[in-house]
Amino acid sequence: MAENLRIIGDTLPGVDMNAPLLEVEDLRVEFKIRGKRVPAVRGANFSLETGRTLAIVGESGSGKSVTSQAVMGILDSPPGYITGGAVRLHGVDILKQDEDTKRGIRSNHIGMVFQDALSALNPLWSVGFQIGELFRVHRGSSRKDAKKRAGELLDLVGIPDAKNRIGHYPHQFSGGMRQRVMIAMALALEPEILIADEPTTALDVTVQAQIMRLLKEIQEERSMGLILITHDLGVVADVADDVAVMYAGQIMEQASIHDVFKRPANPYTKALLRAIPRVDTLGQELEVIRGLPPNPASLPGGCSFHPRCWAAEEKCSVEEPPWASVAEEHRSRCHFAEEVYRNER
Amino acid sequence: MGRYVIRRLLQGLLTLGIVLFLLHYLMALSVQIRGNPAILFFGGDRTPPPAMLAQVEKLYGLDNACYDRPGDPCLVPFVERLQRYASGDLGTTLNGNRDVGDLLAIYIPNTLRLFIFSTLTLVIVAMLLGTWAARHRGGFIDHTVRGTTILIDSVPVFLVLLAYVYLAAVPLTNWARDIWGADTFMGEVFSPSYDPDHPWTTIIIPGIIVGTVGLATLTRLVRASQLENLGSDFVRTAKAKGLPNMRITVVHVVRNSMIPVVTGVGYIFAFALSGAVLTEGIMNIPGMGRMIFQAVQRQEVNLVIVGLTVTAVVVVIVTLIVDLLYAALDPRIRYE
Amino acid sequence: MSELTAPKPEPDTAQSSLWKDAFRTMRRRPDVIIASLIMLFVFTMAAFPTLFTDKSPTRCIGSDARERPDTWFTGEHPLGTDQFGCDFAATLVHGTRPTITLALSVMIVAVLIGMVTGILAGYYGGVIDAIISRAVDVFIVVPLMLGAILLLSLFRGRGAPDNLFETVAPPAIALAIFGWMEFTRYTRAATIETKNLDYVTAARCLGAKDRRIMFKHILPNAIIPVTAVIPTTLGSIIVAESALAVLGIGVQPPATSWGVLLSNGTQWAAGGYIYLFGIPLLLLILTVFSFATFGDALRDALDPKLR
Repeated sequence: MAENLRIIGDTLPGVDMNAPLLEVEDLRVEFKIRGKRVPAVRGANFSLETGRTLAIVGESGSGKSVTSQAVMGILDSPPGYITGGAVRLHGVDILKQDEDTKRGIRSNHIGMVFQDALSALNPLWSVGFQIGELFRVHRGSSRKDAKKRAGELLDLVGIPDAKNRIGHYPHQFSGGMRQRVMIAMALALEPEILIADEPTTALDVTVQAQIMRLLKEIQEERSMGLILITHDLGVVADVADDVAVMYAGQIMEQASIHDVFKRPANPYTKALLRAIPRVDTLGQELEVIRGLPPNPASLPGGCSFHPRCWAAEEKCSVEEPPWASVAEEHRSRCHFAEEVYRNER
Repeated sequence: MGRYVIRRLLQGLLTLGIVLFLLHYLMALSVQIRGNPAILFFGGDRTPPPAMLAQVEKLYGLDNACYDRPGDPCLVPFVERLQRYASGDLGTTLNGNRDVGDLLAIYIPNTLRLFIFSTLTLVIVAMLLGTWAARHRGGFIDHTVRGTTILIDSVPVFLVLLAYVYLAAVPLTNWARDIWGADTFMGEVFSPSYDPDHPWTTIIIPGIIVGTVGLATLTRLVRASQLENLGSDFVRTAKAKGLPNMRITVVHVVRNSMIPVVTGVGYIFAFALSGAVLTEGIMNIPGMGRMIFQAVQRQEVNLVIVGLTVTAVVVVIVTLIVDLLYAALDPRIRYE
Repeated sequence: MSELTAPKPEPDTAQSSLWKDAFRTMRRRPDVIIASLIMLFVFTMAAFPTLFTDKSPTRCIGSDARERPDTWFTGEHPLGTDQFGCDFAATLVHGTRPTITLALSVMIVAVLIGMVTGILAGYYGGVIDAIISRAVDVFIVVPLMLGAILLLSLFRGRGAPDNLFETVAPPAIALAIFGWMEFTRYTRAATIETKNLDYVTAARCLGAKDRRIMFKHILPNAIIPVTAVIPTTLGSIIVAESALAVLGIGVQPPATSWGVLLSNGTQWAAGGYIYLFGIPLLLLILTVFSFATFGDALRDALDPKLR
């Protein structure tokens, strides 16, 4: 299969294969709404290695989707603008590339799966056309060839009778099957990174597990980097390797999934964990985080979580906490990270 | 699909049947109230000998006694009329005694020509302006396009035509003839009235002017549907697929935006038929609109009914085509 | 849950805030303000013509015929005189009332017919829907202008009308008969949409009567798309009236309307008396433009997702 072989440098000049797969450094995104600048992402830092899964967890409005769209380069501007930071893919800052290179990076290097497949697929074209389009635009395949490849992909993501469903339209698939189509489309050009933005939120619980398993299988098979964006820590518990917790446009804590669940170093993470129903807390009342996430247009001073934090002290409303290490590969943004980590708070 | 078309055609036939009857009833009422139009045959002023009048009345099917009783729906002549139409006999005109079928063969193509140019103008201009405005949403261009199209739509189209005929046509024709010569396309196109020797050329300008009717509505529709699609999730997916902007616009936006446009054009088409009356009158185009207007004025019962039925048939067919196009454009729509 | 509290009926609050929001957005737009001022001016002219002119349009002096308005807006004849020597400004001002009365009455009748038939068809469905939909089809296949021409020509009255009603009634009736279907369509669509909403189903389960559901829940929703097209429709009725007048079958002289003035004006425009045509034309375009601009903004305000 010679045509499947490709050289990464073709679509991404200056690549350094020793550099981490994806590094996001101090990424900042602002929205301009009626002349006002509203920060949506305020310095996001994370990195992703080949074959690993990173879960970005946060409430709605925490900036997790905006982060992924900024990485992908599909932020709607206006109103959204990337105002600082770097996104390095194989050591190359993709924010600094020209439009054509950026276009080539999308789907050649980073694929994306969206939440609601029904609206994310064009209702007027068959799924075969929409998948095949990638081969035709990026690989110059013939119509017939593209259709054949689309069929193979549908088969790969576990759609029964794939050959005969190439000509079907998105509305003719069930919710889970549609999400599989989305995944097939994201995988088409064999990207090194897959970003899945709430891939299971719109689905039934039973189907959710199937889709998660599919994503995990494919990721392991192809040793891709997978970024899972979700508001539900429970969903990612057995899939993710690392977790980044986002709140009000900042990453509050990043660590391995094990550390996050066992020894969280941030009060916000702790609060999130207490809100998940678990076998060992059966019969107890679930805790709810009091208050609402802040309005990004008027963030509280100091630590943005302090108005809702049970551990907050005066310092928290004045001084912004540093992004500090509490252990190896475990960082947190809290004045009392050490104490929380040692479970003293 | 086939069953749907058949059902729609049957519905259309029912509609046409009702229209035919209502027209017949209206015309019968008019004869009953205003007096017998057969007198027209004799020039209108003189009182013809009763025997001859009776003969003419018989000739045109106006001899039934029901025409003397106001309010009588005249069912017998109605059935006779339908039978004649069904056998292909559309009757003759009172004024000049010409075969109505022959007249339609001349008039229908002229009106169709007018519609071809006006529909083309409308769709092309509205698509361009709507797309342009959508790209510059909220900006100066958006507001200008909106204001201009509303202004154009606010000027009654027959007044534009009058202004064109009285003020612009002659100087433009002279100017064009000086440059290109009298017998060229350019020498004919600005002509102030229809010329049967150049049936296509001399209908272009009136067609374009009639095409401005509904411009604001359609432009608005195009703009709105494009905005809706530009902000849609599937366009974001297309961007995430790394497709070039041109391809996103052509493949993923324009086709989706065509759906409301098709509906809008079908709807405006019925209005354009209204516009035909004045346009054809002003530009001297022997078409359906002018024919119906003159027939109404002369109380030509048969001609009015045939003319309006033909326009009704056209509207029924256009509506059906629009609905079928709708299904062709949107796979989610399945008629059964 | 120790006590049952009646939740505030959400649709109602949503409705009132929709109208309030619409009003607020409209108020901020300069084009809407200008359009409203022009509309106010025209309506005032229709209601109180004597505020604008102290002359009678019927007092005509033959020797003063066709005086050009050299003095513009001042002097004996601010806009000159017409072909019979009547003061043109007075003619124009007094011609406003029939035009506006006609437009408003056509609109009111059409909206009433449209809303009643639309709600009945949408709410009950079945046979009623079939009959009303067929009626809509029948009237739609006869284009407005042709239908109006037919009715007006066939039943043209012979005597000269001597009051406003007799002047306006024939064209108004003809235009209303062929102009209600659009409103039926909008109302029917909105009714069907609303009928299946959860809170209407809930109301029906609680035993609300049909009439109550129609007035309390469906009417407020159905009235939105109808309101949005009313200003634009008013404009197009004014245009249709002028077209009928030019064809000689609208408002009949000696009564005046803008259409009649335009129709007379066309005969004199080419002969150098262009003001007799130009001034009513300008007034008509300005008015229709204001209605259309206002209507466009209203549609935007009532359907914010299309803005």
